[in-house]
Amino acid sequence: MTMITRFLMGPLRPGIEALRPVLYRIAYAWCHDPALADDLVQETLSKAWVRRAQLREEAALKAWMVAIMNHCWLDHLRSRRDFDDVDDLQDTLESRADSPEACCNREQVVACVRAAVARLPQGQRQVLALVDLEEFSYAEVAGILDIPVGTVMSRLSRARASLKNMLDTATQQAAAQPLLRRVK
Amino acid sequence: MRSFVSDESLNAFIDGEFDVAESESLIARMRDDPDLAQRVGTLRSLQSMVRLAYAEPPVAQGWVERAAAVPPRQFMQRCAFGCLILLAGLSGGWALRSLEPQTAAVVPAVVKSDYQTVSLARVADPNRVMLHIDSAAPAKMKAVLDQAEFFLDQAERQGRSIQLEVIANSHGLSLLRAGVSPYADRIARMGKRHASLQFIACSQSIARFSHEGQVVVLLPTAKAAPTALGQIVTRLQQGWTYVRV
Repeated sequence: MTMITRFLMGPLRPGIEALRPVLYRIAYAWCHDPALADDLVQETLSKAWVRRAQLREEAALKAWMVAIMNHCWLDHLRSRRDFDDVDDLQDTLESRADSPEACCNREQVVACVRAAVARLPQGQRQVLALVDLEEFSYAEVAGILDIPVGTVMSRLSRARASLKNMLDTATQQAAAQPLLRRVK
Repeated sequence: MRSFVSDESLNAFIDGEFDVAESESLIARMRDDPDLAQRVGTLRSLQSMVRLAYAEPPVAQGWVERAAAVPPRQFMQRCAFGCLILLAGLSGGWALRSLEPQTAAVVPAVVKSDYQTVSLARVADPNRVMLHIDSAAPAKMKAVLDQAEFFLDQAERQGRSIQLEVIANSHGLSLLRAGVSPYADRIARMGKRHASLQFIACSQSIARFSHEGQVVVLLPTAKAAPTALGQIVTRLQQGWTYVRV
């Protein structure tokens, strides 16, 4: 009997496991901490496996799992209210912007953008990651995070506006490099 | 005076939330309104920068440590087991090789079959395309512009918002050199008509021509990137489709 159940339940497992890189990228964009992102993904995968019977449509698997990860992330934030590394990241952003080539080569663009994203408020960061990294539609994001579509739009708009300001400031501090085209 | 388009709407547009009619009217407005086009361009670049920033997130240390913490005996067993699975997988794959579907990137729209098309995504994205030219043959130059216009017109008809880059390096640079390019007028017209079209020249190629004593002046619509290859790799990582003409 168990063999039959296992056989019937089998096909979902590779599907769940295959989403690990997707989840990890989102988790990393949310928390900017590789170890924590890994933990979140692990927790999400095991919760998804336990609750797999609740999933109605196979097509919604990704959104469903990201919604689970959102709960894991919120639980984590609640349990660590004292945890606040915003100042650290602020320092990183500014110190990198001081160097003359800042934001001109790829690694530095990556570092600058990550630091800027890390400084966004938590809610905006979540929406930005879901829309930009995984191209979820606004309606899907609203479903995943359990917020109205209007909130998704306003958070995204504010996130992109502040991101632009932060990156503009970083570039202005960098020395002008005429030949290098800034992807801005 | 037409109403001001809110940032929320522009975001919805670049995220593909608009329907065909809405996209069409916004694209039409962008054509007359350089400020609007500029705002859309800025949002798009922000989006691609965010995508690039998380294309390769750093791997958690934990994976490595956990793997290293396995005792040697168990490690050998795991190795042997792994080899077995690998062998089974290989032979399975070999047996099923004829059943495997075509995994080559699906070519967006109608690209001539002799053009090389590359995309890292499973399905090539028809809305973010770069056309690469590295030859000064007039036929190639015409072909790259024809192809670009074809993509842009087709996207416009279907109400999609497309981003297109024409990347020129090596001898292909002639396409974008003022006084050399046979298509300077056409490029200026295309650049004015399509806000989402970019012409990009490779700075290394420019430097090489300059070394040889030639004065390289780019067309006003063209921009320079540090290297064409770097630009192509970055774009591929951001999910763009590459077409070599």
